[in-house]
Formats: sequence, C-alpha cells, structure tokens
Amino acid sequence: MATEQQEHLKIEQLRHHSADELEHIEGREKENLEGWIPALATDAEIREALEKAFDYRGDITITRKDGSKVEGYLFDRRSGASLNDSFVRVIPSAAREKVNIAYTDIAALAFTGRDTAAGKTFEAWVKKYWEKKAAGEKNIQIEPEKLD
Amino acid sequence: MAVPVSQAWTVATYVLKQKLTGRKRYPLVLMLEPLFRCNLACAGCGKIQYPAHILKQDLSPEECFRAVEECGVPMVSIPGGEPLLHPQMPEIVAGLVARKKYVYMCTNALLLKEKLHLFKPSKYLSFSVHVDGQREHHDFSVCREGGYDIAMEGVRAAVAAGFRVTTNTTLFDGADPNSVRAHFDELMAAGVESMMVSPGYTYDKAPDQNHFLGKAKSRRMFRAILSNRKKSWQFNTHPLFSEFLMGKQNFECTPWGMPTFSIFGWQKPCYLLQDGYADTFKELMETTEWENYGAKSGNPRCANCMVHSGHEASAVDYAFSSLKGFLITAKKFVLPSTYEDADAMKLLNEWKPEHSGPLVQIQASSNATDDQLQTVSGD
Ligand code: SF4
Repeated sequence: MATEQQEHLKIEQLRHHSADELEHIEGREKENLEGWIPALATDAEIREALEKAFDYRGDITITRKDGSKVEGYLFDRRSGASLNDSFVRVIPSAAREKVNIAYTDIAALAFTGRDTAAGKTFEAWVKKYWEKKAAGEKNIQIEPEKLD
Repeated sequence: MAVPVSQAWTVATYVLKQKLTGRKRYPLVLMLEPLFRCNLACAGCGKIQYPAHILKQDLSPEECFRAVEECGVPMVSIPGGEPLLHPQMPEIVAGLVARKKYVYMCTNALLLKEKLHLFKPSKYLSFSVHVDGQREHHDFSVCREGGYDIAMEGVRAAVAAGFRVTTNTTLFDGADPNSVRAHFDELMAAGVESMMVSPGYTYDKAPDQNHFLGKAKSRRMFRAILSNRKKSWQFNTHPLFSEFLMGKQNFECTPWGMPTFSIFGWQKPCYLLQDGYADTFKELMETTEWENYGAKSGNPRCANCMVHSGHEASAVDYAFSSLKGFLITAKKFVLPSTYEDADAMKLLNEWKPEHSGPLVQIQASSNATDDQLQTVSGD
C-alpha cells in the first residue's frame, strides 16, 4: 500500500492523464502486514508505518516510551508538520474510548491482530461454493465472523 | 411520483434555504452507520472488515440524534452493518421520525419479517431493502443461497403491513441488463414504492478491488437498463442522477452531500473513502481538503466512481443552482421520460451475458490460487 507521499506523487502524475486513461487505472494493491513489526528508526519510517497501520483492518499494539502498551484498532491518524504535532487515534480492544497517542511517544508498533480483510475475495467465495456444491451441501453461504 | 409530495417539498424548501443563505456546501442525507456488524458476509464488503471489539459496538440513540441535529439534514439513511441487529434500532427510528426526518432504513431484510412489529408505519419511514438482482444474482452477490427468498418475504410482509418499502440494487461487473430489468418487474409486482439502482464501487479499504464497474462500462450498462423503461417502474433517485448513470449528464462528485457518521466519528471525505475522522460535523466541513476528491481532482481513488452517495446530491444541487436547471428538473418530474432509445434497445437485445445458469457466473472465474482462498470467513 502506498504511503501518503507515494499517493501524493501518484495523484500528481495522474492529473496529466485523460479521463479515458483514468478508466483503466489498476486497483490498489494490498500488502500482507499481519505480524509485521516495523523499524521506527527515522521520522520517515515512523510516518510510513503509522500510515500503514491506519490502512490495516486488524488490531495493532503500540508500546509507548514509558513502557505502557495499547492494543486496539487504529482508526485515525492526524499527521502534522512535525512528529510533535502528529498523533494516532486508537480504540482499545478492551474499552469503549478513543485514545490519542502522539507520534513522539511511540517506541514500538506491531501488527498483532488478524487482518480481517485478508483473502475475502469473490474468487475465494466461488471456489468455496463449488467445493461445497460438489460435496452435496445445500444452503451454501459465507457465515459472518463469530464475535465471541 | 416516486416519493411522497411532502418529502419532495421538505427537501426542496431545505435546499432553497441553503441556497438563499449562500451556503456553498450543505449536506442532504446523513449516512448514519450505527453499527458495522452484519448477518451476511458479502465477499469484498469494505464495511464489515473490523476486529470483533469494533463489530460489537453500537452508536447509542442519543449519539444518533446528536449527529442528525449537528448536520441538520432533512433525510437520514441508515446503512451499516445490518441495522436490524442493533438492539435499539426501533428507538432510533422512532426518535428520527419524531424529529420529522425522512428515514431510509437500509436492510438486507433477513430479519425484517420478524422485527416488523417493532416499527410503526409512517410517511417518514421507508425500509430500503437491499436486493442485488434476481434470485441467483442476489444470492451470488451476498454469498448466501436462499438470501433472495428471505429478503423478498420481508419486502412482502412490510408492504402488507402498510410500510413504505423501497429497494436498493447495486450492480457489479458482469451484471446482465436483461436480468436487471426483469428484476425491476419482480420488485414492482411485490408492491415496492420505488427502486434505486447504482453501480458498486470499490471501497478504499475493501478486500476485493477487482469486481467493480469502471465508468465506461457503467454508462453502457445503465443505458441498456434504464433506456426504454417501463411506465410501471418507479425510481426514487433524482432523474438527473439516472441520466448521469446513462451517460447523458456529467456531474462532479459532491462528497459532503451525504456525510457519514459512525462510532469513529464523521468520516473524511465520503461514505467510501476513509482518510480519517472528525469529531464534529463542523470540523469535518472545515478540515477536509475537498479539492482532493472527485474525478476532476485526479485522485485515482475517485477516477471510476459514480456512486449515488457522491453524485446524487450534485444532481439535486444543479436543479437549484439556476433557473435553467430548475426548469429542466421540474419538467423531468412532471413529465417523466421513458428514454426511448433504439440503439439502447439494440444494445440490450444483443447483450451477451458474461455467464449464465445457476451461479455459473462465478464458476467461470473460479481460478483463484490456494493462497487467496484459505482465509474465506465462515470456514
Ligand atoms: S468520487 Fe466522491 S464519492 Fe466517489 S470515492 Fe471520490 S470522494 Fe468519494
């Protein structure tokens, strides 16, 4: 998945295409991020990793510089001019609240939760459908995830 | 007339008021998402892919009412997730009706029949049932055999109980215009008040990015479907939006026209794209860089988008932006056209369905790799 900077460059580049050319733009590629522990050595790495965390559809775990940890869904990020005025917003997995964490307070980030979007394509459903049909099953469906 | 006169009047006076006060950007419909969990698991849906602790959360009725009052819209659409899974949905709907908001409660109708008694028929309330085509098309699209029959049972029960019932059909790549037209006949025969049809579009975060329609394909398909239409078909979309789908009008997107509110807050910029969240409606309007969205902006994520939530408000705004726009629109409402079009009829008659037979449209493309397949939910 593109970083904000890459996305910006791509948009700039695409401004020069005609409407017809834009019709055939390829879909966005999805990265496999589950289990990833990004290096956060430079400002650019921090920004890029948090941008990817914002795009990720599973929980992440943030370790603050004071050693405390927040595990939850990162639903928003506010990217300011410097790391001091940039922060992420997380809904912890064990509480109904929104926690703001400044980029400068983050010591480590890990993509700890399962990517809930992974593999959910029409092709996957089709294959499953025909396998089940061949096995003589009736009322074939994809069941929603169990929440408990 | 596809919507009650009182609703058309409310919307017209609301828009006029916005115009007279010189408000450049105003919302028309609130897309209220009180929950994300669903009792279907459609492949590729970008609205239900969240960790369980997020899917378990609900907006409270008070949070819903506050959002409606904050943005001041005359109409509220309640998608989701599946709204009927929200334990306080009857209270939310009743509260919105009491505020004289026109509510479209979007449902897959799997639970509609059994929950109907929790709602009261009102001119302010319409059940907007999602039916994506004839039986096999719908079942394929929602990844559930038998889904169509349950949904239509819900439609009939709601109609019989005196509710306003509309339908919402989303078309994906490979849809068959002849089948869609037969689907319209079935829906009208079931007694629905009016129908909406629009192209599906890839949510930025949807897991499946490959089965949505590009603009050229959309226009061709909608021209085949919506030209030479039957007088019995009633649509609840603005006539100029219907012409936009058919390629007869060109509208830029109005992403603030149908703002979205959920447990995360106000979604920037639109129902489809998630570029962050604002805590208040005012913050959404003031901090979103609107010029970065819509096809004209060059944003590749908007390049092929023709969705209702981004473009119908443009049609409404056009109607109130000039005398010419107003007269054109008034004529289309008073003397609705059937859009006679011999070329479109030829296109329809010669249309080759990409696939046919029970669910074979999906058999034909069943060449996914094992890697893609191992994480189908519900295994
Ligand atoms: S064109 Fe408008 S509605 Fe469509 S994705 Fe872009 S901002 Fe959203």
